[in-house]
Amino acid sequence: MINSSKNSLLPIGFTDTLYPEASNEAHALERIITFFSSNGYQQVNLPLLEFEESLFDGTGVSMTEQTFRLMDPISQKMMGIRADMTPQIARVATTRLRGEPRPLRLCYGGQVLRIKGSQLRSKRQFTQVGAELIGTKSPIADAEVVLIAVSALRDIGVKNISVDLGLPRLAPNLMNECGIKGETAAAMRSALNRKDFSEVCAIASSSGQRAATIFPALMSAAGPVESAIKKLNALKLGDNANLERSHLGEVAELICSSAPDVGLTIDPVEDRSFKYHAGVTFSLYCKGIQGELGSGGRYMAGNGKDVENATGLTLFLDTLIKVIPNRASKMRIFLPYGTPLDKGTELRAEGWITINSIEKEQDPIAEATRLRCDTYLGSKGIEKI
Amino acid sequence: MPANEKIVLALPKGRILCEVMPLVRYVGIEPESSFENENSRQLRFCTNHPDVDIIRVRSFDIATFVAFGGAQIGIAGSDVLMEFSFPEIYTPLDLRIGHCRLSVAEPMDMIGTDDPMKWSSVRIATKYPELTRRHFAKRGVQAECIKLNGALELAPHLGLCNRIVDLVATGETLKANGLAEVEVISNITSRVAVNRAAWKIETEKIADWVEKFKEAADALAT
Repeated sequence: MINSSKNSLLPIGFTDTLYPEASNEAHALERIITFFSSNGYQQVNLPLLEFEESLFDGTGVSMTEQTFRLMDPISQKMMGIRADMTPQIARVATTRLRGEPRPLRLCYGGQVLRIKGSQLRSKRQFTQVGAELIGTKSPIADAEVVLIAVSALRDIGVKNISVDLGLPRLAPNLMNECGIKGETAAAMRSALNRKDFSEVCAIASSSGQRAATIFPALMSAAGPVESAIKKLNALKLGDNANLERSHLGEVAELICSSAPDVGLTIDPVEDRSFKYHAGVTFSLYCKGIQGELGSGGRYMAGNGKDVENATGLTLFLDTLIKVIPNRASKMRIFLPYGTPLDKGTELRAEGWITINSIEKEQDPIAEATRLRCDTYLGSKGIEKI
Repeated sequence: MPANEKIVLALPKGRILCEVMPLVRYVGIEPESSFENENSRQLRFCTNHPDVDIIRVRSFDIATFVAFGGAQIGIAGSDVLMEFSFPEIYTPLDLRIGHCRLSVAEPMDMIGTDDPMKWSSVRIATKYPELTRRHFAKRGVQAECIKLNGALELAPHLGLCNRIVDLVATGETLKANGLAEVEVISNITSRVAVNRAAWKIETEKIADWVEKFKEAADALAT
């Protein structure tokens, strides 16, 4: 602990990312963006800071509690540092890019800052990489977004992916229908999120005949796709809820037929998504990793009369990085003092990482070892140590 | 079988374990013999199921092990689950064992001497600072909590505070220490707690165990 000093302490939730993690992360980010781009998602770069009024407009409103704020001394207005990039994309799509043909496909990668980390992901600064599909209501769009998320993860080497589909507006709709309001609704919401079956039954049975049958049935429907769809279809639902259910069914079927080897589950009651989601949502999991690798879903982009149907996905790079295989690193070669510069250029073109000697060394082998090279350029050419 | 494919079942040490074990045996899980030895230093135990291991930890730590995915399934009191209210835990099943209540208690001679309506803050000794704060905040009262890990009943008489929030089963301990229960915060039973990611990834396997525990709870309750 000799080196620790007060200067090395960082605020909670912030870390220095060193090698090789920093380069692994940059590489994964680049691969994912390239993958999205080749699927027609065009990359955009948006600013770290925006005025509060635009950042919290429409979909952004759910991030108010998570956003660091500061004042712009120039305009004297409050600004926020982005805590999520989806609202920014929604803003650009419905303003500057509103004249572009629909469906509009955009992708992005960048850092966000949050007031609080979550229990499993304590970081307050992390990289989001994502894609948004704006201007279409079709279930094919929902399926496309889930499938490119899965394919992008596979492309960087993630295995055993499973997808959990959700319908966060369904339970609130049904509560409305059954007249469950206020504190009872909040208690029901919390019980549903904890899968507390006895509590759900208790609240439901004191809220009328319909609630007493529908909520326990809805909760037991959660599980693997086939049984879940069957149980969901057996429920008697109102018109709105029925539309949502059939949308979900179509999305599930499209995913199953295109990616039969992905573990697909459905949870019709859970709602941990951002409040802006409206329609089918999803979370991505992987065996051996706690928490989501990414999530996404349907939302309404924009505000007022310019609102558009959209869906999208976000991957969390800091979680991903724990599951992807380490990139095979290039070999490091030590170039002793006085090696001609051309030689270095030649070796780098062949794929080496070159380490130049700055001062004349006594023993090139010892110096190469000290600088963590397992190869050096000797009198007979490239030599292993 | 690779260690990370096993299901780890977290069980509470101490009093509740005697009530939990009949359920565990009913669902067909039999731990290795060293599990019975209270003096053993072993913490993790094999069972007759090659894919199920048992860990024995303090009841307060069960929620933490399950929340962080160290154990996929745990059996914990609703007191502990409410205290931590971990978002990563599902509580799908009430086992209807370990009945007790979480209550506010105060010295017998204090009863009736003040009006709780007029409180703006109270000082309380408890093992459950979060739960206590939430409970009093709902009534618009700020609870200043002194966290103790045991012998709470001593606190009022030694001047640490006037009241305590603790588990009460029969009320004998309170009585023996000159305290009386004045308010029940919540009725407590033991629950099956499941890690959220495990539920999502291994839905069938986990749901199957939860179902077995449900059958066991139903059978043993009658």
